[in-house]
Amino acid sequence: MDLTKPPKTPDLPVYKLPPVYETTLPNGLTVLLVEDRRFPLVTARLGFQAGSKYDPKELAGLSESTAALLTEGTTNRTSRQIAEEVASIGGALRGDSSADSLVVAGNALAENFAKLLNLLADVARNANFPEEEVELRKQNRKQELLAQRSEASFLADEKFAEILFSPHPYARQDPTPESIDRLNREALVSFRDRYLIPNNAVLVLLGAIPPRKQALEMIQTEFGSWQRKELPAAPPASFPEPQRTIVLVDRPGSVQADLRIGRLAVTRSHPDYFPLLVGNTILGGGASSRIFMNIREKKGFAYDARSTALPLKDAGTFAAITQVRNEVLTPALEAIFDELKQIAAAPVSADELTTAQNYLSGVFVIRLETQDGLAGQLAGTKLMGLPLDYLEKYTARVRAVTPAQISAVAAKYIHPDKASIVVVGDASQIAKQLERFGKVTIEQAK
Amino acid sequence: MKPLIFCLLVLCAGVLISEAASLNIPIEKHTLKNGMRVIFSRDTSVPVVSVYLIYGVGARNEEKGRTGFAHLFEHMMFQGSKNAPKGMHFKLVESNGGSLNGSTHPDYTDYFEVLPSNKLALGLWLEADRMRALAINQENLDNQKEAVKQERRLSFDNQPYATAIVDRWPELAFNNWQNAHSIIGSFEDLNAATVEDVARFFKTYYAPNNAVLVISGDFDTAEAKKLVETYFGDIPAQQQPKAPDLTEPPRTQPKYEVYRDPLARVPAVIIGYPGPVRRSADYNALVMLDLLLTGGDSSRFQQNLVKGKKSVIQYEANLGWPFASASDYKDPGLYAMYLLYNPAFTGEQIVAQVEEEIAKIINEGVDAKELERARTFLRATRFQQLQSSHARAALLGRYELLDGKPELINTELNDFLAVTADQIRAAAKKYCDPGKRIVLDIVPAPPAPEKPEDKT
Repeated sequence: MDLTKPPKTPDLPVYKLPPVYETTLPNGLTVLLVEDRRFPLVTARLGFQAGSKYDPKELAGLSESTAALLTEGTTNRTSRQIAEEVASIGGALRGDSSADSLVVAGNALAENFAKLLNLLADVARNANFPEEEVELRKQNRKQELLAQRSEASFLADEKFAEILFSPHPYARQDPTPESIDRLNREALVSFRDRYLIPNNAVLVLLGAIPPRKQALEMIQTEFGSWQRKELPAAPPASFPEPQRTIVLVDRPGSVQADLRIGRLAVTRSHPDYFPLLVGNTILGGGASSRIFMNIREKKGFAYDARSTALPLKDAGTFAAITQVRNEVLTPALEAIFDELKQIAAAPVSADELTTAQNYLSGVFVIRLETQDGLAGQLAGTKLMGLPLDYLEKYTARVRAVTPAQISAVAAKYIHPDKASIVVVGDASQIAKQLERFGKVTIEQAK
Repeated sequence: MKPLIFCLLVLCAGVLISEAASLNIPIEKHTLKNGMRVIFSRDTSVPVVSVYLIYGVGARNEEKGRTGFAHLFEHMMFQGSKNAPKGMHFKLVESNGGSLNGSTHPDYTDYFEVLPSNKLALGLWLEADRMRALAINQENLDNQKEAVKQERRLSFDNQPYATAIVDRWPELAFNNWQNAHSIIGSFEDLNAATVEDVARFFKTYYAPNNAVLVISGDFDTAEAKKLVETYFGDIPAQQQPKAPDLTEPPRTQPKYEVYRDPLARVPAVIIGYPGPVRRSADYNALVMLDLLLTGGDSSRFQQNLVKGKKSVIQYEANLGWPFASASDYKDPGLYAMYLLYNPAFTGEQIVAQVEEEIAKIINEGVDAKELERARTFLRATRFQQLQSSHARAALLGRYELLDGKPELINTELNDFLAVTADQIRAAAKKYCDPGKRIVLDIVPAPPAPEKPEDKT
């Protein structure tokens, strides 16, 4: 065998998703069941279209606090009882909120499926937000927010979202100290009653679950009497036209500059999405991408250098992200600009295209290795409003992308003409360098 | 489909798993002529295979004047080898649908590729090529010094708490320099590293006899054995490296230090106690003690400190925290905890509250229900963790390297579950001794005075 050449290996194996059974209860609750008996475990997701974009303006953070407090007391169980019951079924149960959705995630040893289902239904339907828990949440969330605000990356993400999305509520995905102060039990109850309803929900149950008929009976018992309600409209999906804005968030003492360069792009359901996904992978999606190879491996400007095409439900973004030492901000920005222009100017090579397509197809399967991975993908697909065959067709769509399509979407979304620039760093060290790229607004880190 | 976890009932569809479910992850161990240990762990349920290579060298092997070298070397392992020039490692793995990384720890350095199942040969070839002939040159070294310095700026110097944890905590916790020095290293030492240092380190530590290779997931065992022999079989063994002297002088008094962190906005406290010998009965007992104190939402810290006293905001704890957990803790080490706390309290008060919780266990014991809950939690967490082929490979590799017993992946759970309430009390009393306690209280420092003339 010739050891001087990499071995030839067959094409990627074909992976078929395990069969997904989908049904809808009379109250509108969408149910997905997947049997997976590799491990004596069950995994649940109960997701709602109830993310931070539904927060009233003055109550930023309402969705995340609702999510966090669901497991802190119901009309049937105290916070402590919930914690102890969850531990004794070998499980976990927690609510989380993102820009679009609020998801209660749970798991347990398979023998405790019925108990997990009962707990899940109880927290989603009967959470009662005890005053003491609400007060503790407010107190601790304020401190957590302070800790988050001491991180440059948090400040950069926050400012970037504000520039790209304002006035859409995607512009503010985290609370402020003031909005935390305004939070109270009434607001939480009202948010729950409005959005945590069966016709706004998807329930994914996966793992060593009981046979379908029995599982469906158990689901009916726990969720059948949940009342359908009229769902309020989502905020209109309108966004500002991208334009060049440069903001420097001053963080005195920063030893590096944390950069975001990018603009609005497209959602998963847009025809440009797959070309953008593959193009972004070539540009900055992995350790063999152009930005990584240039900014980190060739120039040594940064440890982390990449780009992302991040789709939310109603809008998507493209961004190049890196953190460079203060002295090299100018050459680093120039090098990134060159890369953003280059991918729009000339077709990607066949080799780059295959690399990116294989990478995306391969890691897609690796992500489905665990129950959490598969459950997350299924719930996410439904919550994004995509058809279930989105997962089945993902690899084929990645493979269908051509260099011409990538050039076209790169000219639209990656080329930096209308890209905004957010830098978090020590203004006294870097402001002058940044001014070479346009008019700079300096804001103090709050 | 072959289940990883066998029990009496698992093959009987519709009947749920019994209480007696136990672990049976397949393990087949071989040693090549050059001393490299190889573990095969086959499970074909998902078409994914993980290649995991662990070397018996970490930050505790470093020499004075070369802090951070083990980690810098880890970066060099991605800079190309004889037949896989710079960039090819990343490119080949990604273009074949895989992911990869490497990481440096106090006692080992590890590398992995997770690949679609029919790409196993590729991962093995890449690992063998760099074990056989790493490309060591000045340009790559200079470039990676910069990448590591940027990593230090990003992950430590520009982050709240991080320099306190990575630079100061080990110095406070240990007296022997081998244990006490910074794992990320100083800029001065990174700058001082030479190409000769890299070559010597490679020859000494990156030899087949100082490594364990694990292949886990979906593969054909006969083919994998053939590939391993072909790729690794003739890489020459080296003299077994000398183990560093890690002996710590016995601790005779407590320490308390305040660290002013200009980037932190919320106070945090680290509390540590010198820990037990790995795999001793006390080690098992401390794993269970830690679960009672900090495992899950029903734990004592969550219920009594976060909820009851409303003094703690977030916490983490582990044998070997912050660089290790129970699974790769190696003595001498600490049982340490990190608590972000409400600024209405002081660090001293938090320490007192933590020790009050421990004292309750020592004085009042643990009731059967609470202990049973912790056991169930542990069992479930372990099952969760072992779903991924990479996680199984990493544990197998670490247990072979650190214990010489990869089968601990199946058996250690029983050792933990067998710990009694009395053993937990005794271990809490013996180890969580206020007389040997080490504390680093990290308090937000007022921002440096601004110089108006510098402002734009």
